[in-house]
Amino acid sequence: MYSLIHSAVIRGLEVLPVNVETDVTDGLPQFIIVGYVSAQVREAEDRIRTAFRNSGITLPVKRVTINMSPADIPKSGSFYDLPIALSLLASTGQIPGNALDQVMAVGELSLNGSVNSVNGILPITAAALSAGFRTVIVPAGNLAEAGSVRGISAVGVSDLQEAVAYLRHGTLPLSADPVSGSEDKSSAAEDFADLRGQESARRAAEIAVCGFHNLLLAGPPGSGKTMLARRVPGILPSLSEQESLEISTIYSIAGLLDPLHPLMTDRPFRSPHHTISPQALAGGGRIPRPGEITLAHRGVLFLDEFPEFGRRALEILRQPLEDREITISRAAGRFRFPANFLLLAAMNRCPCGMFPDSRCSCSARDIAAYSAKISKPLMDRIDLYIECPPVSYQDLLSDGKKSETSAEIRARVETVRSIQEKRFLDTPFHFNSEIPAGSIREFCVLDTEAEARLAGCYEHFRLSARSCHRLLKTARTIADMDGSEIIRRSHIDEALIYRIPDLPGRGPGILLKA
Amino acid sequence: MSQYVMHHITPESPLWPERMAPLPGMPRELYYIGSLPEEHTPTIGIIGSRLCSSYGHRTAEEFARAFASRGVQTISGMAVGIDGYAQEATLQAGGKSFAVLGSGADVCYPPGNGRLYDELCLRGGVISELKPGTPPRGPNFASRNRIISALSDILLVVEAKMKSGTNITVEFALSQGKTVYAVPGRVGDHLSDGCNYLISQGAGIAFSPEAVLSELGLVSSFSFGRETKAAEAGRRKKDRDLAADQAISPEERDICRGLSFEDPLPPDALARSLSLPVSRVLAALTDLVLRGYAEEPVRGLYIRKRR
Repeated sequence: MYSLIHSAVIRGLEVLPVNVETDVTDGLPQFIIVGYVSAQVREAEDRIRTAFRNSGITLPVKRVTINMSPADIPKSGSFYDLPIALSLLASTGQIPGNALDQVMAVGELSLNGSVNSVNGILPITAAALSAGFRTVIVPAGNLAEAGSVRGISAVGVSDLQEAVAYLRHGTLPLSADPVSGSEDKSSAAEDFADLRGQESARRAAEIAVCGFHNLLLAGPPGSGKTMLARRVPGILPSLSEQESLEISTIYSIAGLLDPLHPLMTDRPFRSPHHTISPQALAGGGRIPRPGEITLAHRGVLFLDEFPEFGRRALEILRQPLEDREITISRAAGRFRFPANFLLLAAMNRCPCGMFPDSRCSCSARDIAAYSAKISKPLMDRIDLYIECPPVSYQDLLSDGKKSETSAEIRARVETVRSIQEKRFLDTPFHFNSEIPAGSIREFCVLDTEAEARLAGCYEHFRLSARSCHRLLKTARTIADMDGSEIIRRSHIDEALIYRIPDLPGRGPGILLKA
Repeated sequence: MSQYVMHHITPESPLWPERMAPLPGMPRELYYIGSLPEEHTPTIGIIGSRLCSSYGHRTAEEFARAFASRGVQTISGMAVGIDGYAQEATLQAGGKSFAVLGSGADVCYPPGNGRLYDELCLRGGVISELKPGTPPRGPNFASRNRIISALSDILLVVEAKMKSGTNITVEFALSQGKTVYAVPGRVGDHLSDGCNYLISQGAGIAFSPEAVLSELGLVSSFSFGRETKAAEAGRRKKDRDLAADQAISPEERDICRGLSFEDPLPPDALARSLSLPVSRVLAALTDLVLRGYAEEPVRGLYIRKRR
């Protein structure tokens, strides 16, 4: 007897419905799974056989054929156990065939019949809703995640028996309790108030966060670059509902969602170690999975010790920094992952770290080679560059004058964010850094004095067309922070401070006297 | 590929530098672009470390300018740092400068000095004993130094560490019978250790350009402190210009005066001492740099411009 149930396949971040068909006929007892399936899917046979026995369900001694269509899309993962088992039960008449209409099921079976949590529930449920399904049957552990999608009924089952009971009699094991996504912003334990000095670096960080500009911090060890970077999550602007859904989808597929708070309320902050492989950074695998740049989507990718990263890993960043997504081509197909992140990087200026202090023990060649590890095209994609000088003793022990707290900074960031929201209402972008080259003049209006300054500095600082565009976008954010719709000369002047330098190797280096 | 005309001479050529003729260990041929140093014009070789301080940078430029204004031509190695700064300043002051390279004369090394290379080809000369197209290699740089010293009447060391490539040039100069001058540095400053050591060993003390020029008989008298007075006058003039400049706001004027003529300052320190928001200081600094009142000798550090 033939039966059909629906499940899903995850391709990159895209979810497609899959039909799981089962046919049970007389013949030599066999269990065949076809439809371009991976070894993980094939293993379902043994899990299902044992789970059935331990749940008191008998599997008839017959020829069982299971097909997953469309058969030209590769399927992998363990979440087909439950749909295969349910389809098989429908074929043998143990659950009514029509009970499976408009039902999508995913879940992994344990040998004792219990249903284990799986990854990717959020996008699967959303796909089920948009494909017009009535119900999704998911592992009980994933119920909160499935429940966060409104408009479809999610049934969480903790074992096979519960699933069978639901499909036979409609008894709900547990009710899906849509978890409210709104919670207080988890106040980061690390606050900007703890950071001494570094006024200009703080300012640069605020500009970077306000307009989502990429920022490179340079300076000797111990000047507070990493400390500052770790405090950036605390001042990031809040997520819109759409952004939250986007990020949660990525994290669901990567299996990084908090099962109790399935909708992410904070922007991600990823800080991979510099030994990361190019594939781990960009995303990869036979069937590609999201990499760090995708996990940092709509958030911050922090690369500490920037020049220490592998050349191949760093150069991979070029295209996503420009296109804000990455396309990975493998034998299994082409996969597009979003990668619209704020690149926050920190570096020393030389191998010993002390340059430009005269205590630097590196040769001119060492220093040149160190900065040359970051290619010019990659440097060109960074909007803001700031030097972090060593912290003075006065700053370190200034108890009288407290530094600003993250909350104060975040309040300003939110104001600038709402200005940008209004500005980009009819456009697909959210932040000033995303303004495409063609629309720069539309959004960046300069007064006459600012125009004159821009013309004057273009030659003086030997700007390129790309760096000029970056300069204007940065100036746009600085003007927004100033509450000015028109970009004035002082905004251009400040933006120029953060321009990418000719690092030594591309120009002569000067040491400071001790 | 270089678009310049390459000349080739041997010791038999009438153009072969007279300064090199009597010396042992000289090359058997020279390639050059532009011209060779003029035979009867006083010539000073200016050398120093590649990584220098802003003091070394400033001194190299001031000395080179003073030399150029007295019609002295300069010779160096077109390296990053002191060499390049001195040669650039000579050309800017309308003087002639010549570079002896450790690569073929048609190979610009370091590539970052492309602009200087072009200027030298047009308004001075680029010289090498190596065949055109020879890539830059370590040992070649040490041996080209003997040509720098041979072509100079006086060798001036601006800033050098104790262990420095300039020592090689100094050794050559002494064995060739040239006078060596060194710019003194502060005690305890390892960027000047090499210079101070040379002075202790009997090198001339280059406390002002005139001190060096008097050796060549180009100035009859000079006095201690003249440099200091001239610098002081220059600063006062710069300050008067600043006060009279209508385009500068009072706040910017305060920020400019908060900067030092001597030691580069980070904007953070300036903002703290003036109790101003750092964003205003940052914007003002760009304006002051573009209007010629301040300089950024090292990225992120600012100093008042002296002239």
